[in-house]
Formats: sequence, structure tokens, C-alpha cells
Amino acid sequence: MGRRFLALVVVLVLVAPASRAEEPRRVAVIVHPTRQAELSPEMLTQIYLRRKRFWDDGTPIVPLNLEAGAALREVFSRVVLHQSEPRLAEYWNRQYFYGVLPPATLASTKAVLRYVAADPNAVGYLPAGEVDDTVRVVLRLD
Amino acid sequence: MVASHPAGAEATEVATTPSREGPELFGIESPLGHIDYRAGRGLHLGATTLTIGGYTTADAERLEDGSSRGGLDVNFFLSADPVSFLHLFSEIEVGELVDWEGGGRPHVSPQLKVERMYGDASWSDGANLRFGKFLLPFGRWNQVLADPLLWTTSEPLIVEEVFHEEVTGAMLWGNVFPGGETLSYALYGSFLDRAVSEPEHDGVGARLEWTGRTGVSVGASYLASKRTDGAWNHLGGVDAFWQPHERVELSGEALVGEGAHADGGQWGLYAQAVVETIPTVYLVGRYERFNPPAGGRGIDLFDLGVTWVPTYYLRFKVDYRFADELDDLSAPGLRASFSVLF
Repeated sequence: MGRRFLALVVVLVLVAPASRAEEPRRVAVIVHPTRQAELSPEMLTQIYLRRKRFWDDGTPIVPLNLEAGAALREVFSRVVLHQSEPRLAEYWNRQYFYGVLPPATLASTKAVLRYVAADPNAVGYLPAGEVDDTVRVVLRLD
Repeated sequence: MVASHPAGAEATEVATTPSREGPELFGIESPLGHIDYRAGRGLHLGATTLTIGGYTTADAERLEDGSSRGGLDVNFFLSADPVSFLHLFSEIEVGELVDWEGGGRPHVSPQLKVERMYGDASWSDGANLRFGKFLLPFGRWNQVLADPLLWTTSEPLIVEEVFHEEVTGAMLWGNVFPGGETLSYALYGSFLDRAVSEPEHDGVGARLEWTGRTGVSVGASYLASKRTDGAWNHLGGVDAFWQPHERVELSGEALVGEGAHADGGQWGLYAQAVVETIPTVYLVGRYERFNPPAGGRGIDLFDLGVTWVPTYYLRFKVDYRFADELDDLSAPGLRASFSVLF
């Protein structure tokens, strides 16, 4: 029985296709100008998976995503969350089992900019070229 | 859940009210705010923060001993976040909504059960207090006990046979992030089981889980529970999860127990591999070994199946359990299910 299982694992791993390469794009992660926190890529991952839910001052973090299918969101998911959208959906299904929902979405990067500029608890991302002085950039992803 | 925050005069040109994730199948403005239903993410009742969702599963099996059965269950989730530091959650099962056995006619005998009902009070990521009835945080499988979240129709014996699935009591839990990785802990006691007439489930336990940046996760669990004769059972376990490739998932658990409800020790393990062979179709294989207490015969099981996930809220499963014995515990045979997360 054990040998049969080991043989199956070997076969399954061998048939798995190689990873696809992704073209990097420059993404800026933004917060409200009054938010002094610094974010590492790893901490950003924890925030967008909603494992880290509070800023250091104890206020709740409001992470914002773009809508599913947005090209920038797919880049962000791979670079920051290291997962494809189907894998993330599996993750969020497990969170839903505890009543935890994925980050809320906005329809455009302009909307993300406006929202983050107005909410001290929010964090969002957008193309680096769209950043203005109403927000603070805490991280640039290449 | 999240209010609109228009910034400046130009805000009128851009909608800045965040939406929930997922395709909106139904939406309406009401005095409660925006009410919407999203596939696999429930019905959200605007400003009340209440979300009503759940899942349903239809399953059928034909075992090697010639028996067959099938059924339909529905589980409802209710959750709310009335304030930022309080999360309320409940799962209510309507079991055996329809049930049939052998060649008999289906009969309807719905049974209501509160599977979970708890509140989480949060002070920080590292300090949360859960109070109520919740799933026992022992191992990995027991924390995702819902058909739409699992790859096979049946549970490993070490999850099904060794410990009680739920705890009624309190749990201190949290996450810390050393070096950007996640260390999760849980310390719990089931002292409230007395209130629901289940003194045999009194116990205390702990769980520690580390999740690395690459997605590797390992955990360790311990549970001490009091038997009806006043003596204590001790159960320890380790578990792991690894995604070596986007399309490959490996997981396993092992546990060992002393002083089980029956005399003597027990141990068991399972190892499971899941591979996405073509998009949305997954091949699943699982090996299990279980040595029950009281000198029972050791059992080897092998499950092989196919799971189709056409979209994130639908799951079709067909699997076959191979075993070297035809007893009730091994129960080899063909099983199938269809689940919808709603």
C-alpha cells in the first residue's frame, strides 16, 4: 500500500507542468499620508490574506483590491501573494468557512487613489505612474 | 462593511464605494444600505454587516459490502462584524434533509444542529479571544470540515474517530509575524461542555502553526481530555502542508494518543497528494494508517479520486477507497458528491 502511494506521488509530480513566467510591472503600494507605517512585501502579503488585520496603533487595516480580471490585480496576486487567482479562491473559501471575506474591491485605480487619500486605515495599490501627493507610497514592487 | 469615502470635488466622477469580492448575482439599495448576493460569498445585508451563506452537499456511496446510501445536507453560515473588534459567527446544519438507503425510497427527516456559534473579540493580531462553540483546533483537516473545501468525499480515520470535532468553551488565539512569516497559536479549554451535557469532552489543548513565505506550513497540536472515569486522555499530533508547484498540493497529519476512551494507546497518519492535471480537474490520492485503541487491528486505506472544480463555489467529487478488510471502519467502496458553496 505504501509503495503504491509513493509511486502515485512521483507520477503526479512528473506530470505537473512548469511555471509560467510573468512580465514584471511597476506597482506602488499606497496609504493615507498621515499613516507613518512602513510595509515590507511580506507584511503586505499578510495584510492581503487578512492574517494581519490591525495597524500597529490598533486600528483595523482596510485592504483594497481591484476587481477580478484586472491585469494589475493578477500581477499583484502573483508578486505579493505568490498565488494564482484559482488558488486564492481556494484560500478564501476556507476563510469564508469562518465568516472572513476577501478584501473589498474597487473598479478602478483612480477609485483606489481617492479612497486611500480619504481613509487613514486603507491600503491599496496602483501603477506607480498614477500616484500623486494625496497619498504616501510605502512600497514599490517591480 | 466599508463606507464610501469620497475625496474632494472630483470624487463624484469616480465610484469610491468598495464592493465585496465576487460576481454580484443580486443587488438592491435598501434602507439597510446595499444588499447583495455574491456566488459563494453569501447574502450581505448592508449596514447590518450580517452575511448569510453556507453550503449544500448531495452525496451517494456504494460500498464493497453491497450497501448503498445517499443524502442531502445544507449548512448555513451567519456572520457579522458589528464593531471592528468583534466578529460573530454561527454554522447551523440541516442534516439529512433527504436521505435514502439501499433500494428504499428517499425519506425526509431534517435534523437541526448548531455546529458552531462563537464570538471573536480582537485586541490585536496577536490577542483574540473566542468564546462559544467552535471546531477543535487539532490538526489541519478538522478546521476545514466542509465538503466544498475538501478534496475527497470521506474524512481520514484519524480525524473521524479519535477526537470530538467541536469544543464548547474559550480559546485565546492569534498570529505573529517573525521575519514576515506567520506563527499562529491557539490555547483553549472546553469547560462549557458541561453546560451541554457532554462532560466526556472536557479538556484543554494547544496548537502552534508556522506558515512560511513559500507556502510551506507545519503544525503541532496537543489535547488533554477528561474521561468519564476521571482519568485523562493525552493526544499529540503534527501536520504539514506544502505546495511545491502551483498545481500540486501535499499534506499530511500524524497523531498518537494515550489513555483513549477505550483502553490503550492509538496512533495514525495520512498523507494526501492533489494535482491539477488539466485546468479545474484534480487527481487526488491519499494513504491512511490507523491503529485504533484497545488492541484493535491496524487499518491501511488508500483513496484515489477525481475532483472537478468548474468554478470556486462548485465541486464534484468521485473517489474510491481501497482497503484490505471489509469492516465498518474501513468501509471500502465508491463515493461521490456534489457541493455548492452559496
